[in-house]
Amino acid sequence: QQSLTVNIGSSHPEANIWVYAMKNTFQPEVNRILAENGNEYQVNWVENYAGTLYKFTDTREAVMDGIVDVGMVGTVWEGANMPLQNVTYFTPFATEDHRMIIEIFDDLSENLPELKNSWAENGMVHLSSLITDSYDIYATFPVASMADLQNRKLNAPGTSANWLRETGATPVDGALTTYYTNIQTGVTEGTLSFASGILPTRVYEVAPELTRVGIGSMYFGGIAANKDFFEGLPAPVQTAFREAARATSIAHGDYVGDLAARALDEMQAAGLTIHQLPDEEKAKWVNGLPNIIEPWLEQTGEAGKTVLKAYFSALRERGATPLRNWDEGL
Amino acid sequence: MTTLTVGFILIAVLIGLVLLGMQIAYALFGVAFLGIWIIRGNIDLSFRMLELTAYSGIADYLFATIPLFVLMGLLVSVSNVGRDTFEVAEELLRRMICGLGVATVAANTIFAAVTGVSIASAAVFTRVAVPEMKRHGYRPAFSAGTVAGSSVLGMLIPPSLLLIIYGVLAEVSIGGMFIAGIIPGLMLALGFVAMLIGITIAFPRFVLNDPDAVRERRMDRDFKPMPLRDLVLKLIPIVLLVVLVLGGLYTGFFTPTEAGGIGAFGALIVALSRRSLDRHKLWQVMKQTGVISVSILLLLVAASFYSRMLAIAGLPNAIAGLVTDSGFGPLGFLFFYAVIILLMGMILDSTSILLIMVPIAAPIAQGLGIDLMHFGIVTVIAVEIGLLTPPFGISVFTVHNTLNDPNVSVEQIFAATLPFIAVMLVVLVIVALIPATATVFL
Amino acid sequence: MSEEDTSELQEDRFVPSLSESPYGAVLGSFSAAMSAVGTAGIGALMLLIVLDVIGRNFLDAPITGVSEIAARSVVAIVFLQVPAAILQLRLTRADFLVRRLQKSSPKTVAWLEALFCLAGAIVFALILWASWPKLLSAWQTAEFFGVQGVWTIPTWPFRGITILGCALAVLAALYRAREEIRSARSAA
Ligand code: NA
Ligand code: NA
Repeated sequence: QQSLTVNIGSSHPEANIWVYAMKNTFQPEVNRILAENGNEYQVNWVENYAGTLYKFTDTREAVMDGIVDVGMVGTVWEGANMPLQNVTYFTPFATEDHRMIIEIFDDLSENLPELKNSWAENGMVHLSSLITDSYDIYATFPVASMADLQNRKLNAPGTSANWLRETGATPVDGALTTYYTNIQTGVTEGTLSFASGILPTRVYEVAPELTRVGIGSMYFGGIAANKDFFEGLPAPVQTAFREAARATSIAHGDYVGDLAARALDEMQAAGLTIHQLPDEEKAKWVNGLPNIIEPWLEQTGEAGKTVLKAYFSALRERGATPLRNWDEGL
Repeated sequence: MTTLTVGFILIAVLIGLVLLGMQIAYALFGVAFLGIWIIRGNIDLSFRMLELTAYSGIADYLFATIPLFVLMGLLVSVSNVGRDTFEVAEELLRRMICGLGVATVAANTIFAAVTGVSIASAAVFTRVAVPEMKRHGYRPAFSAGTVAGSSVLGMLIPPSLLLIIYGVLAEVSIGGMFIAGIIPGLMLALGFVAMLIGITIAFPRFVLNDPDAVRERRMDRDFKPMPLRDLVLKLIPIVLLVVLVLGGLYTGFFTPTEAGGIGAFGALIVALSRRSLDRHKLWQVMKQTGVISVSILLLLVAASFYSRMLAIAGLPNAIAGLVTDSGFGPLGFLFFYAVIILLMGMILDSTSILLIMVPIAAPIAQGLGIDLMHFGIVTVIAVEIGLLTPPFGISVFTVHNTLNDPNVSVEQIFAATLPFIAVMLVVLVIVALIPATATVFL
Repeated sequence: MSEEDTSELQEDRFVPSLSESPYGAVLGSFSAAMSAVGTAGIGALMLLIVLDVIGRNFLDAPITGVSEIAARSVVAIVFLQVPAAILQLRLTRADFLVRRLQKSSPKTVAWLEALFCLAGAIVFALILWASWPKLLSAWQTAEFFGVQGVWTIPTWPFRGITILGCALAVLAALYRAREEIRSARSAA
């Protein structure tokens, strides 16, 4: 029997939606598969979860530089080095089905050369996709029409600020950890966010009106292995990693789905009221957005066009109807 | 040798170097670099971790507030707002036993509501209160100790850098932490007052050079009281600043992180409007801000590198395991935790302690059913004691440096802060035993 | 403004004259200039926050990216100020032992100080060595932070400041070490 040491880690704690399946599915699955295949190899996991080694801004470099061998990589924070993966954030209102996003990106990251190479160029091997559930508005007020968003201040950090353009609302920077205080003190009046993220931060206590908008589920990043490390693994262990990664994708989708459903129940029990933005208002929002994909296409060039086309045809193949054809005219 | 043993040896090496007098940032960087190299057997990894930490270890909006809080402190100081606050307190407390000591505590309490870092309070009141106390027969060392001791109020009464850092690390509401700090902060202030009065009655020689002269002055019926108009005028700037910072914070005008910037700007306006600041002097203040800030910030980068090395050594997990296995109840854990922080407070700066301890301890505390806000206040009080304990007590150093008096040694100031440490320990125990002291308004 | 207030703010004495020590004079002036840029950065940071708060509350126009810009700036401010802080002996330390020894054996203390300065030079050399490859790659890949289409800022100037700051910090620490060794020799 041969023993291998694998450093696994993340910038976020084990209970986080993007880390949960790493710890609770990936690791045990690898162990199980190796044991079933004759116990020839055994993995000695060294866990560095919860940002003890690096911060969320450094998830790519941590895996790339081998600080961990396997890690959660938030490509959402890597707009400069891995822009292709952020296609979902520039094409809102595509689909609310987060399992579909996982499926599509597991496929594209392995089979679309542009995406696969992007991981390789950054010294990584993509194992399993990480996503968010669909974005909605958690606020101190319900949104019945687009007029209700006029002159409102909403936390919408990073790329999600784009989604508020031309809506009359003002995007304010922030993070899951600052929403509660921001809303409580009136710095903002709500946030664009997703149920599984809102529940643990108790934002619903200060923003008790949820308006389901369905901005969509987003590709957040991936669980990835350091490329040199992965290629140095014995073939049976590589296979075990791959198989475990498939199980992890499914577990991740289920966990987020369950958590989002549970979150809505618990939050409602705690006083959250749920509203639905009417379809015609939603259409106004979507069609009123400027062409926010434009700068992304300029940055990513031909590769970007290929990824966008592949993503949107994968969506349609699976029966999704994006509310706006961001790929039009390519 | 297990990585854990290596970890403990490296801690010992660090303590040794710090005690020898090496610049703490150098010691942290050096020991951590060697540690990662030894534990992982890979010098490349040391370099990569070092690069990551240098580039993004303190790349956080939160840390950007440190220079701004320092700037606010210095501006308030050059515009004499601190002196005026002290003079009003002195005037009102003239008849009190140990009146100038109590006035220092009172002025510090009010001042604490605008500043977020204790060293700002320490620097301001060293220049304002110590000369005045010396002039009126108080022992210089005791005066310096009183300033150092009461400066800790700056970090417990909101706004407070330590509460912000704890809030971020433990992922609890920073606004909530600010509210939780109010009662323990006031308890501390009242405790200091009671202690000062008690100690002056019981050991007048510890406090005063010439007790008789001081008593005479206290009983003097012939002094000219400060006209009410002067009194109000002297108070207006500090009141405006308190209203700006706390008012803005609680009406949602700005976030706790932004309070440093707004407060500094407010202090700048006050300084300019009082004509206490020309272009040259403003530049001097800014430069001073830079010099003070960099010494804190570099320490933070180094501490963050060091705590990553400890994580690689598996120390946080080991300590967490130790606590879980030991079967401590919540109180036992709080006690154990406070003792560790007090020990760390002797050799490390407050922010480093938070960075090292909170990520390890907060999840354990939560698991034991301790309210994280309550836990945060206990943490911050324990950490603040470290501002006063030798060999590394930053508040005492600040007072000593600012005072620059060859007749008052650091050791004497450390000795004079002992009664303050005693009060803080008492408040620490009370707050630990009665969570409501922190959580009642939440 | 009283006299005792001004005296504490005088901190300009760390630049020796050119005739006294050409190396120290050049190094000191350069460090002072960098430190001045960092100092101006603190002021800019304050104004940025104030403008953001005013823009957000009164004009519905917050400044996007303040938190990221502030985050990057604070690192730059540190590395801009470090060389001057080393020359001014402002880095935090527990010096009770050194002060004790100073009276009995100033020579030992000078050697100890020289050793610490060398340790500082090594530390900053390590950071320099670790960081420069990332400066190159940031330059080559036009790495930025921010949000495509909203606002972006290249990272190479920030990485460059780290490199520059470390390089000067190494020189500053070596200069201090030389001064300490000199005083150790002259104490003999
Ligand atoms: Na305060
Ligand atoms: Na201490």
